[in-house]
Order: sequence, then C-alpha cells, then structure tokens
Amino acid sequence: MANEQTSVPLYAASEVLTATNMNISAGTGVPVFATTGTRDAAFGGANEKVLAEGQLCYLSASNIVQYYDGAAWATVGPAAASGLVCTKAQTAFTSVMSVNVDNAFSSSYTNYKILVTLSAGTGSFTMKLRAGGVDTTTNYGSYNTAGVTATLSLIKNGLGTDEFYFGDRNAKGAGYDISVIAPQVAQPTGVTTSIYSSYGPDDYSYITVGNQNSSTQFDGFTLLIDTTAMTGTYAVYGFSKTV
Amino acid sequence: MTMRISDNGVDRDMTADEETEFLAWQKRSFAKAKARADAQTAKDLARQAVLDKLGLTADEAAALLG
Repeated sequence: MANEQTSVPLYAASEVLTATNMNISAGTGVPVFATTGTRDAAFGGANEKVLAEGQLCYLSASNIVQYYDGAAWATVGPAAASGLVCTKAQTAFTSVMSVNVDNAFSSSYTNYKILVTLSAGTGSFTMKLRAGGVDTTTNYGSYNTAGVTATLSLIKNGLGTDEFYFGDRNAKGAGYDISVIAPQVAQPTGVTTSIYSSYGPDDYSYITVGNQNSSTQFDGFTLLIDTTAMTGTYAVYGFSKTV
Repeated sequence: MTMRISDNGVDRDMTADEETEFLAWQKRSFAKAKARADAQTAKDLARQAVLDKLGLTADEAAALLG
C-alpha cells in the first residue's frame, strides 16, 4: 500500500470500518522501533505493510526520526551537531596571574579553537599546554608577526622555547583567537593565533604561528601574564570531525 | 600579597608551591623580555650607525633597498 493519501478521512458515528479504512489508520501513523533491525523486519511480511516511499519511523535506540525515500532510510532529526561545538563554556576570571584549564581537549575532536578576551592585565601574555594537570615547559617554537603602529617586525621564540609567546599587552581590551591543531594526537601540536590589542593610543596586533614539538597528548592549557593581573573570559570549541 | 589563579573556573589564591613556581617563571619571563629588548636596541643602534656613516635617513635607505 502506498503512503500517499488522497484524503484525510473522517468517519461518521456508527459507520462500519472496513479493512481498507483500518489500514489507512494503521499505515499513516509513525511506528516506533527499537533498532534498524526491528524496523526492517516490520515490513513486507504476512499481514504487514510493504515498505514504500514516505514511510516514517522513530528509532528508540538512537532517538532519531527517519523517512524512507523509496530506496533507503534517511534521518530527519535531530540535526547533526554543528561544525563547532562548545566544549568549555565561556568562563570568566578576575585579577589573576594565570588561568588553568584542564579537560579541554579530548579524542572527541581533533582540532580546537580557544577564544580569550582580556579587559585588564599587562605584560607578556603566554600559553603552555597541559597534560594531566601539569604544564609542559619544553619544545615550544613560535614566530610572531608583530604590528605596533606603523612598525612591522618578526619575533622568533619571543620568550624562549618553554611556552607560546602571544606578545606584550597593556591594560586595554584585547581579543585572542587561538587555533590548536591536534592536541590529543601523539604528534606535534600546532597553534595559530590572531591577536588584536590596543597599546597606548595606537593599535597593536600579533599573529603567532608555532608548535609544541613533542608527541605528548595534551588535555588542557595554561594562560599566563607576567606583570599585572588579568581579567577576562575564555571559551573552548571543538571542530566536528563529521558532517 | 598572595597571587591569584583561575583554576578550572574557580578564582582563588595560589598555593605556596604555585606562587613559588609562578614567581620563578615571572623572573625568567622578565629576563627574556629584557634580553629581547636589549638585542633589538643594539640592532637599531647598529643600523643607525651605518645610516649615519652613509648620510641616509631610514626612509631613504628603505627606498634604496626597494
């Protein structure tokens, strides 16, 4: 029996319901199956409807609604997770010299984005990667392209090789867009960072590219500032690995 | 005054060990920043010395080198 209907029936009181009437009612509801296996077994047998285009179902094991397009089942919803998934909700910090964030990276995602805002804090701003609650302090390498007013300069390993150096800042507002490539994979972890800050009366920006050249599988990070305490927020996002 | 830390979303005073570690890092960070600034100053002075010998301004030298 095809799923296309030509009417939406309304039965009168005392009307005799035929098999055809009942099949319309039985065939147009949304049946619920435990799994795809029980779903497939429910059609085409003796006294069962032949599977046809437009059939809907709900699968309780996976909590999804599906439709049959005449050739295969396709999922209606819920919609797949978006491309960028918040893994650490935006968190505020006030007047601190360092910010520890553990359990930020997992095998659920390969690549991550950390967004940081600072409204206060001065000095060199840096980041170290963490594993098991402990900062890693070796094997960092980075280049900063620094633009301060009209001067453009290139800085290699601005504070050595024991951290990523994201430039100097004064107390004015700043935004940090930090991409972390494969922190949970046993290979070097890449970092690219775009930074906007305001330095005195002039604009001030850095682009940082670097890596931590070991095979440590990191699960967190630490932000540090060396002169006066910082106030701001951070949030962490994972890039979805599937469409 | 005790230094403060944001520890997984909780702002608190650093422990003695954390503060010792932070102060050591801070000292190294200041030293590295000074070394970098000193190196840049030396580089700028050397460049200016060459420009003075040639009798060129920085803009003229930049124009010359394309």
